[in-house]
Amino acid sequence: MDAPLERLSLRWPALPGWPLALALLAAAVVVAANSGAISLGLADWQALLNGEPTQGSMVLAQLRLPRVAFAVVVGAALGLAGALSQGVFRNPLAEPSLLGIPSGAICAVALMLTVFAAWAGGLPATWRPFAVPVAALVGAWVMCGLLQGLARLLAPGAVAGLLLAGLALNALAMAVVGLCTYLATDEQLRNLTFWQLGSLALASWPIVAVLGVVVAGALAMSRHWGQALNALALGEAVAAQIGVPVARLRRVLVLVLALLSGLAVAWCGLIGFIGLLAPHAARGVLGADARRVLPLAAWFGALLMLLADTAARTLVVPAELPVGILTALLGAPVLFVLLKRAQREIGGGW
Amino acid sequence: MLLLDEARLDRHGQRFGAFDLRVDPGERVALLGPSGAGKSTLLKLMSGDLAPTQGRVLLDGEPVATLDARQRARRRAVLPQSHQIAFGLPVELVVGLGRWSVSAGEGDDRWVRQALAWASAGHLRGRRYDQLSGGEQARVQLARVLAQLADVECGLLLVDEPLASLDPGLQLELLDTLASFCRERGHALVAVLHDIQQALNGFERLVLVRRGQVQADVPAATAALPALEALFGLRLQALATPGGGWALSARRMEVGA
Repeated sequence: MDAPLERLSLRWPALPGWPLALALLAAAVVVAANSGAISLGLADWQALLNGEPTQGSMVLAQLRLPRVAFAVVVGAALGLAGALSQGVFRNPLAEPSLLGIPSGAICAVALMLTVFAAWAGGLPATWRPFAVPVAALVGAWVMCGLLQGLARLLAPGAVAGLLLAGLALNALAMAVVGLCTYLATDEQLRNLTFWQLGSLALASWPIVAVLGVVVAGALAMSRHWGQALNALALGEAVAAQIGVPVARLRRVLVLVLALLSGLAVAWCGLIGFIGLLAPHAARGVLGADARRVLPLAAWFGALLMLLADTAARTLVVPAELPVGILTALLGAPVLFVLLKRAQREIGGGW
Repeated sequence: MLLLDEARLDRHGQRFGAFDLRVDPGERVALLGPSGAGKSTLLKLMSGDLAPTQGRVLLDGEPVATLDARQRARRRAVLPQSHQIAFGLPVELVVGLGRWSVSAGEGDDRWVRQALAWASAGHLRGRRYDQLSGGEQARVQLARVLAQLADVECGLLLVDEPLASLDPGLQLELLDTLASFCRERGHALVAVLHDIQQALNGFERLVLVRRGQVQADVPAATAALPALEALFGLRLQALATPGGGWALSARRMEVGA
């Protein structure tokens, strides 16, 4: 990052930026809600606010707004998860989907839907809506645990060690998903494809509300957790020496990471690279202080997700592209650039 | 203040100890020994990073390894060997994190400024840590440690070969800063060093470590030279300098001599 930007970022006033950022996000929400198979405009918003049941206001209230709100909270969750995962693993390339955390979640969901389908079907009806999110959360959490163990075993502290561990675990999880696909019935197969491609088509207000509460909770803690991530950046040994309860903190942060990542997967499948792009953009603007990176990564994630989902809905009208494919197309070149940079910074031997 | 009582450690198939050592407030102790002798391990036992497998390591009468992390950080600070920090954190933030045990590293700007000034690093404010030179990073890490123990007395400051890669002028300057900081507050200073001359001139007591054992525990004076010669396999000669210090010349001991 070049020097002028850095100097600018340090003088950036902490507060006045946020109203501006929120206004920008709101504007993006309006634009996104207006675009789609049917273009909407001011009249439809007026009808909605006045409670007139026109076609436009119905589309807005029942289709567009839940979808757009869903994009915002999912994007924020993915951005936060990315920033948390980079901080917890002390690695600028530690994007959850590169590490295989969402794959772990999908693997758990796939197992539950196929191998344990009979068992899941036997759950009381009130529990059934929670089965997929809980399975995804557990899958993501187990994956985080395996990652920490494997990375420590392979090459403690090395950038590459963690990514290689992620590669191996990703392959393993996907092999299990493949096995489930093989065993699946036609209907189960259609369901599984949803998680593998990634889409916001499940948008509904209850889901938005649950994910929104989780994201808001994480944002409320971002100052505290951000400082903890800053301390971890000094290295685990040093963090312990300055008085940080490292083990307890890691457990909490990893659980939050698994929660954000797992819930996002449960309801919209695998959407990669938002968790990589958002924290990098945030650090580019405000510097590396994690107390600022966390909320700003959530903001960038929300904005990116909104753009990607709007593109996915509008590019091939009346059909819809899976948004996970779009973010991958967008993110993979960026990953390449970041890899080049990491290689330059760390030297040839990483 | 710090007491090692029959402290032993088995780690990665290696045995260290038993260590019996006592460090009093205000003392300056240098740990010397060949590479791989166990100096850093001994320091980790002292800091509580590692718990002894047998025996006790007590800080103010309490087992240091099981002390609450925050309480422990109020009494002892560690300047590490490696200065790597992930991400480009701002300098003030790094130093402010030294105040974690007091204020979670927030709003302690006064101590941050003061500590940076002590470490002659005031000019580095507003910079990113990852863009500093090795010497500048060492100053910032020193400031972080000074900030941690700035407002307590009779603490313990542990230093693990932090100066090895720095130029001689900077090494002396940072050691002086550390020594006077500790003297003013009654902190004990324990440093792993490689430079025998520095140890002789800047410290009161030399603890010589070899093969995981303390081989000798001697006052830092020319009387320690035979023990040092045996430790490193060197012929040493010390000349008094006008400033009251010692200039040291070292030659390899000839085989069979």
